[in-house]
Amino acid sequence: MSSPAATAPAAFPAESAAAPAATKALVIGAVGIALTLVGLLVSGTKVVAYSWLVGMTFWTAIAIGMLMLCLIHHIFDASWSTVIRRQFEHGLSAFKWLALLFLPLAITPFLGHNADLVWPWMDLTNEIHGGHTVGHDPLYLKKSAFLNSNAFLIGTFGSFLLWMWLAARLRKASFTQDKDGDLKWTFMNRKTAAFGLPIGAFSLTAIAIFWVKSLEYHWFSTMYGVWFFANCVRGALSVGVIIMVWLAARGDYKGILNKNHYHSIGMLMLAFTVFWAYVTFSQYFLIWNANVPEETFWYNLRELNHDGSTNQWWYVGLALLFGHFFLPFFFLLSYRFKVTPHIIRRIAFWILGVILLDMCYNILPAMKDSHEDSLPFLSLNLVWTLTSVVGVGGICVWSYLRSFPTAKLIPIRDPRIGESLTHHE
Amino acid sequence: MSAPSYGLIATFNTAPELYHAAEQVRDAGYRNWDCITPFPVHGLDKAMGLKRSIVPRISLAGGITGFCTGMTMIWWTGAVDYKLIVGGKPYFSPMFAFPVSYELTILFTAFATIIGMFVLNGLPMHYHPVLKYDQIRKGMDDTFFIVIEARDPRFNLANTKALLEKAGGKAIAELEP
Repeated sequence: MSSPAATAPAAFPAESAAAPAATKALVIGAVGIALTLVGLLVSGTKVVAYSWLVGMTFWTAIAIGMLMLCLIHHIFDASWSTVIRRQFEHGLSAFKWLALLFLPLAITPFLGHNADLVWPWMDLTNEIHGGHTVGHDPLYLKKSAFLNSNAFLIGTFGSFLLWMWLAARLRKASFTQDKDGDLKWTFMNRKTAAFGLPIGAFSLTAIAIFWVKSLEYHWFSTMYGVWFFANCVRGALSVGVIIMVWLAARGDYKGILNKNHYHSIGMLMLAFTVFWAYVTFSQYFLIWNANVPEETFWYNLRELNHDGSTNQWWYVGLALLFGHFFLPFFFLLSYRFKVTPHIIRRIAFWILGVILLDMCYNILPAMKDSHEDSLPFLSLNLVWTLTSVVGVGGICVWSYLRSFPTAKLIPIRDPRIGESLTHHE
Repeated sequence: MSAPSYGLIATFNTAPELYHAAEQVRDAGYRNWDCITPFPVHGLDKAMGLKRSIVPRISLAGGITGFCTGMTMIWWTGAVDYKLIVGGKPYFSPMFAFPVSYELTILFTAFATIIGMFVLNGLPMHYHPVLKYDQIRKGMDDTFFIVIEARDPRFNLANTKALLEKAGGKAIAELEP
């Protein structure tokens, strides 16, 4: 049983200052989307659709990560993260906009003979390597109960609805408790966390498989959902750090954050760095060791051209190995780096960059030329990927900033707020 | 100075009293002294002027040793001492050496951490002079103590006693060695 809802001392600047940056973010997002539309004329529909998928996956992953961190916070009845949880709750407002932004990709199943625009299995008459069509491919037929357009649409929008519902419950309980201080909201959040975590785990796995893994539907990997989850949480933690440093520098978090909050979130970042490396290496290692063509082709595509020469994705893979694991790992081992705001912010930006690279690595090589070789990483196509990321990101940041002034900066009547304000002090 | 004692012990009734007294002892420049508390007091390390422990560095050294041991062992056994082709794989590859290296990294890190902590704390320690102090059991219940050792270069029976009194210490007593 928790202690009665504590009230934070009145001296804390708990009122959130209005964020005038929201409009700016919306404009940046709109410009990004407009530039991506220009890409339709320059590079064609397929390239831009893949780029948009990268932008969508990247930002949806961060939003899912925020949702999972909120749920994990409640299931463990955590105390230290109470002062930063509110920022994640604001971030959860982005789900409805992400669902809207996914609509351009959701029309692909209805494109008739162009239904294979992004996902090759959506058009059963699509001729695949070896001369037969997807509809006669045993590897497709065995998976067709899951991999069909209806399941794709239900899975995608069903997941969005579930996330929006969980987000609405978390936000309502947390925001209302600011006003009435009733403990029932804490218990409601705990229940949401108990059933929300399995829902979140299943839905994010479904999304990882539908959106990304099924780009190569011949492939098998049981680690895929876990790989996606690791990126989700790493992204959300990094965005969390960036928000913390931003609000601390602006003065909002003055007297609220101490270095132990940075230390704690930095330790989580380190833990999830190791977690990401563990699952990503395991996936690679098991496939490398078993050496079965049904699985190795996925990595071959990301290393070699059909004539055996090394392609650009080989270097991207190495960049991921060193940039997504070794560098953040050794960086985050240091206590001083974790507790110095402007230094931990550096690695947060870096991790966001390599997560984007990881998304590119998993999505873009599915675009192939006439020799079935992956299109190179460095090309004009990358520009549309970046504009997509800016476009979707602008909308997400706008959604966060729009939600920001609607609630107090911190959950002032959360029963754990006192502990969080004096974390390890 | 009469028969050399281990040092002086002072009693404090509350954590804030102890905390502020610790700050005064720290500012007076003492090095060989310690606080005895029934529970961890947040921020006391700062009040005592303690630096961060070097155990993490020992852990890192252990981890790196473990990783290198794993890699070297797999390389030496598979590619040097008894060459054997397994599953069409090369004699040595960091891929299959990785799980072993990873496990040894964890194992050696754990050993280094535990051993480093024991060595730095002077454990195992079967005897400590404060155990002879008749009130010491209260230090496990509701009372706080500061002990300043006589081997501290700044230790001077009269001055140190005055400092502890000024800092609010009660029942100041000398400890038998």
